[in-house]
Amino acid sequence: MKLEDYSWIVLLLPLAAAAIITLFTQRHGKLSAQISIAAVATSFLLSLFLLITLRETSHAISAINWLAIGNLKVEIGLRLDHLSLLMLLIVTGVGGAIHVYSWGYMQADRCVSRYFASLSLFTFSMLGIVLANNFVMMFIFWELVGVSSYLLIGFWYEKASAADAAKKAFITNRLGDFGFLLGIILIWATLGSVEFDALKTTLAAHPAALGSMAGVAGLLIFCGAMGKSAQFPLHVWLPDAMEGPTPVSALIHAATMVAAGVYMLCRVFFLYEAAPAWPECLAFLNGITALNIISWIGGFTALLAALIAVQQNDIKRILAYSTLSQLGYMVMAVGLAAPGAGMFHLTTHAFFKALLFLGAGSVIHALHHEQDIWKMGGLKKKMPVTFWTFLVGTLALCGVPPFSGFYSKDAILAAAADPVHGNVGLFILAVLVAALTTFYMFRLIFVAFLGPVKDQAVDQALESPGIMVWPLRLLAVPSVLAGFWGLELFIGGAFGETAHALSWHEKIFAPLNHSPLAALFGLFATMVGLGAAWQLYAKAVQDPLPEKLGLLSRAMRNRFYFDEIYRVLIAITHELLSRLANWFDRWIVAGLMVRGTHGTTELFGRALRLAQTGNLQTYAFLFAAGVVLVLWFVLGH
Amino acid sequence: MSPLTYILGWPLLAALVVLVIPRNYRFVIRSVALLATLASLLVAVKMFCQFDAAPAVDGYRFGQIIPWVASLGISYHVGVDGINVGLILMGAIVAFAAACVSREIKTFEKEFYLLLLVMTGGILGAFASLDLFCFYFFHELALVPTFIMIGVWGRGERKNYATFQITIYLSIGALLALVGLIALYLQMPAGSRTFDIVEITRYFNGHPMALASQQFIFPLLLFGFGILVSLWPFHTWAPLGYGSAPAATAMLHAGVLKKFGLYGLIRIALPLMPAGAQQWMHVLALLCLGNILYCGWVAMRQKDLNLLIGNSSVAHMGFCFLGLASLSLLGVTGCVVVMIAHGLLAALTFGLSGWLREQTGTLEIEKLGGLLRRMPFIGAVLIMAMMAGCGLPGFANFVGELAVMFGAWKSLSPFVVVAAWGALVVGAIYMLRAVRNVLHGPLDPVWAETRDATSLWRKLPFALLLVALLVFGFFPRLLTDKINPSAEIIVEAATATPVGKIAARPAQ
Repeated sequence: MKLEDYSWIVLLLPLAAAAIITLFTQRHGKLSAQISIAAVATSFLLSLFLLITLRETSHAISAINWLAIGNLKVEIGLRLDHLSLLMLLIVTGVGGAIHVYSWGYMQADRCVSRYFASLSLFTFSMLGIVLANNFVMMFIFWELVGVSSYLLIGFWYEKASAADAAKKAFITNRLGDFGFLLGIILIWATLGSVEFDALKTTLAAHPAALGSMAGVAGLLIFCGAMGKSAQFPLHVWLPDAMEGPTPVSALIHAATMVAAGVYMLCRVFFLYEAAPAWPECLAFLNGITALNIISWIGGFTALLAALIAVQQNDIKRILAYSTLSQLGYMVMAVGLAAPGAGMFHLTTHAFFKALLFLGAGSVIHALHHEQDIWKMGGLKKKMPVTFWTFLVGTLALCGVPPFSGFYSKDAILAAAADPVHGNVGLFILAVLVAALTTFYMFRLIFVAFLGPVKDQAVDQALESPGIMVWPLRLLAVPSVLAGFWGLELFIGGAFGETAHALSWHEKIFAPLNHSPLAALFGLFATMVGLGAAWQLYAKAVQDPLPEKLGLLSRAMRNRFYFDEIYRVLIAITHELLSRLANWFDRWIVAGLMVRGTHGTTELFGRALRLAQTGNLQTYAFLFAAGVVLVLWFVLGH
Repeated sequence: MSPLTYILGWPLLAALVVLVIPRNYRFVIRSVALLATLASLLVAVKMFCQFDAAPAVDGYRFGQIIPWVASLGISYHVGVDGINVGLILMGAIVAFAAACVSREIKTFEKEFYLLLLVMTGGILGAFASLDLFCFYFFHELALVPTFIMIGVWGRGERKNYATFQITIYLSIGALLALVGLIALYLQMPAGSRTFDIVEITRYFNGHPMALASQQFIFPLLLFGFGILVSLWPFHTWAPLGYGSAPAATAMLHAGVLKKFGLYGLIRIALPLMPAGAQQWMHVLALLCLGNILYCGWVAMRQKDLNLLIGNSSVAHMGFCFLGLASLSLLGVTGCVVVMIAHGLLAALTFGLSGWLREQTGTLEIEKLGGLLRRMPFIGAVLIMAMMAGCGLPGFANFVGELAVMFGAWKSLSPFVVVAAWGALVVGAIYMLRAVRNVLHGPLDPVWAETRDATSLWRKLPFALLLVALLVFGFFPRLLTDKINPSAEIIVEAATATPVGKIAARPAQ
């Protein structure tokens, strides 16, 4: 067995766990949890082993032929390189911590086996995306991630809101997948392959090989990322997905599912390096590239979500919108031709956002499923571990040096300030979002953990048990340190960048040397946000903003009415069409055509029945009339 | 003797046996039916495993010929190539599952099982036959019991109307196809006329049919066979018929018998009439969008679960038509994969809805809800079936739809865009709505007494169909490697002579 073949075990172990739990250990919750945790832990260790042993090689592939019809050849091939190894570690590592935490959080639930089966299926699908070496395989696992997240979000399916949220997440993702699939088919039809390596070689040799469809193909592929990474306008599913159990929110919203879109963009970044061109009907786009559009969508999502987060009161929703906003950052980074920066932020974000979600889960657990931050307060004393780890996560998210978030966010700001690919508008936008991020996160800290106690439930709150607290401590470590582990160098290797190694103390100050402008603006924004939050919320018992902002605050609280707008849009398109089709089917096709045939046949039948009365005189009369008629006809001519 | 003779023979033989068993021996009757379909299934599995995809001498394996009416050139001729070997396996699986779920029938069991066995034998015979006469005869043998079963054992207020509609439509479709087939038969010179499909194909390969005849016969076959497959706008019989039919009948018809029309198009119409095919394919491509999109929308509005499944089944047929219309290797291979996958899927969903109806007495979506709590097994399988229905990877349907869309892109890319929308978005909307309203949500106390399938025996038919879907979904080459060489021959024949060249040749 070659070394890279071990990646099959990494991939298949979670699937095996899911299958075993579903088929055999449904009734033994604890055993199911153990199987699931053991599978993901083993995958994690194997990934570490692969990382250490394969360090030198740029990439290795192990593939089997899955489908071959005519000129469509699809492999299930596993590709190991810097990008996928890093992502493997995030998925199995952060995911593993979440698995362990889940046992603490979910053990009282009576369907805990089903939970862990879905969790393992989700891990398997995610690993499939990470390891895929071609578009079709990626699409396959893309869909599987969609369905396993459907199962997880809708885990408490008896709750109407959870069932609706699961449905919404799946269908919104499907909208993105629609574009993704068309993009894949388009690329296959033009370039004749779906394999990343082959495509990359072709495009490197002939940058114009995609012809006038280059821009369209890039945007169609991006549609997939838009769904999974919840970019505007497909962002609406993500906050609703909070209806799932909190560990699931951590898994889906922090480390894995939403990262899939950004990861995919990084994986196929070569596509966006092709010569930009648009077909005739899109000639008005000449002069801008697909990447420009992507970066603006990312930037807009970041701003929009940050604004919404400012006025949310549900602790999980604040984090959900913050995730959206950070994803916007990552997508913007890819759009600014800095996929390395996007991946870097993805990695650090996976650590600290998982930490934040699990911390929120710990709070929710302690307060018996209370999620409103205005009913918390003073939790610092009650739950010290949760508080301090949550604070670490917050500082990292706000980009306070030397926490990891500072370095990755700085990399993105630097990309926006870059003279070649950068954009002043996006830079200002990014700095603004950084200030907003600090503001809403410290609003959360002040209101929930520090300020006055606002509800009696807090008095009975207790620190969560060890099985839930230890994952917090574990995740806090990389949240602090990931900034100067040399991650960006490792990621850079995936994009063929070379950089000289720095010693660790040089790394701490690297951003200031590298792009002082970005670093200083970032720090300034953080300070402004922190100051504003201190001013408004340090002692607040209720939110002062709605009075000050009025209508704007209401719009923010109502998520700028996107759900309502979409509902109307769907009602006037698909619902209307479906009504129309149904009406046509019932009254025209079935009605006129079938009933018509039925009717005329029956009419004839009735008419003929009139003639058959059984009355001899009538028959005689008809007979005579017939004879007369025939005679008249014969004689008349 | 060919294994095919066993496969179609066991059910027909069992039908004869059932005929002589007294009607109060219910257990014996049921056992005979189960054993016969199981025997067919086992032989079919063995044949499928032994099938060698390498080209055979005359293109077919496991062949057997018994001359019957020599003067007309009719014989009993069976054989399989890559196209029908999978279909026969699928048919045998569905037939066994249908016999399993027929437990719900409580009246006139003897007659029911008799008709079920005749229908099974007819279906399998139609797919195995390489003789036009038998091909058609077996189909009628299966079709007539369908009408009777819906009429006698059907349910719902609109049962009679449904029976009437399905009878009219399918009879007209079969009649059109018959006229086409007879016209085809008459195209051969008087001395060498035969019903043998292998001989006919060989003859027309050597002597291409005159353009005028192709233009006359092809539409007859296209619409005749098309009506049998619920081609839009001749589809309204399907949802209503299946909605009223007993579960086993719906499974066999929607799953297997319906594919007869497609099989006829692939086996006869495409390779023998390339010019006709190429002329009509854009029409077919347009109509298939009616299936995919329009019927998808109609499905979104359905209030009855069976009507929803029926409409979605019509929508899935659109992919088969799209694959055919592309006249490409990928498209035709994909079409056959969809036929097999959809057969298993349709049988599974109708079987499950039969279970739900038996437990709750209704299939009105608004009245149901939260059933997953009471029925973890049935509910979980139904969710998986719905997911398979909206094209989730891992199930065989995905492979077929993917191949169709890839195959159709070159010549019909705008159609693929619409089809992908129908499959990925519209399909997901109605399937997930059904899951949401039937299985998810709070449990209505009315349904507190409903039961799940708990014993292995009750789970068997559903598990069998689901496993088949998963196996072909995970290992699609089990199917595609067999289909590919045969599909290649058909596509080559269907595209060999461009329309222009044939038109230039003087009519013979």
